[in-house]
Amino acid sequence: MWFLLMLIILLANGMSAFGLKVMAGWALPGSVKFPYLAIWYAAGLASIGAPMILRGVRLSRSELLWGALMAALSIAGQVAMAVALDSNVPGHIVFPIAIGGSIFIVALAGRIFFHERMNRLNIIGITTGFIAVILLGMS
Amino acid sequence: MGLLFCFLGAVAFGLLACVSKVAEQRGCAASGLVVSVFGWATVVMLLRTAALHSGFQMPAKAGAIAVACGICAAVAYLAFQTSIKMGKVTVGWLMMNLSSGVPAAVSIWIYKEKLSPIKILAFALGLASVLCLFWGQKSEGREVANTSRERG
Repeated sequence: MWFLLMLIILLANGMSAFGLKVMAGWALPGSVKFPYLAIWYAAGLASIGAPMILRGVRLSRSELLWGALMAALSIAGQVAMAVALDSNVPGHIVFPIAIGGSIFIVALAGRIFFHERMNRLNIIGITTGFIAVILLGMS
Repeated sequence: MGLLFCFLGAVAFGLLACVSKVAEQRGCAASGLVVSVFGWATVVMLLRTAALHSGFQMPAKAGAIAVACGICAAVAYLAFQTSIKMGKVTVGWLMMNLSSGVPAAVSIWIYKEKLSPIKILAFALGLASVLCLFWGQKSEGREVANTSRERG
């Protein structure tokens, strides 16, 4: 199950960002990105929310509140990166710092707060993955 | 000043993954959280779009792509949120970020983009990372099984 979930994360999350690449090729005005993202989020909401409604599952108060915090952090991250790019910091610096930095923070928190134990293969995997993500951000 | 915002971005994204783990530990359902996150973000984006002079004007083909990619994103986040219940948040978050290699690879295939030495190295390391993490998880599972057999 875990292996399947990892494959889904890799492929589905990768393809979720591909639309922006396609749109860049069409040379649409910059203002299109906001309605694009509104539809993007609404489609995601409907795809998971509709089956929940059909099953009669309701959102709990804590899910609403934690979800609000997560959405705020996601938007804050995007805004911070956009401001950095607008301040003439090149993309090959912004993306490796923001993405690589977030992995470093999560690895640190995983060890300190969530007591995640790593075997040697996991450590090698995380280190090589960390470098790969930074190189992808640079390119 | 710009660099400071790079680091703030890193902190925000890092905290996002940590909050996902905390919410899971507090008993929030993965699907409920994803619906909540996408619901709040939809509201923010609708408000931002409504404030534009151009409003919701966009080509239909862009709308179709937004729908397909949005569904992919929700499925990916649901998989991430589910995975941290049974595995490590660090590995799940790394996979979320390693996935940036997928559009890069598809671009090389579809748009015939040049394959630079940095990209080749990144793909090789990314593949090595995924294999190590899979084997690491497998050997961890075996260790747990052996320990429980010895105890039993």
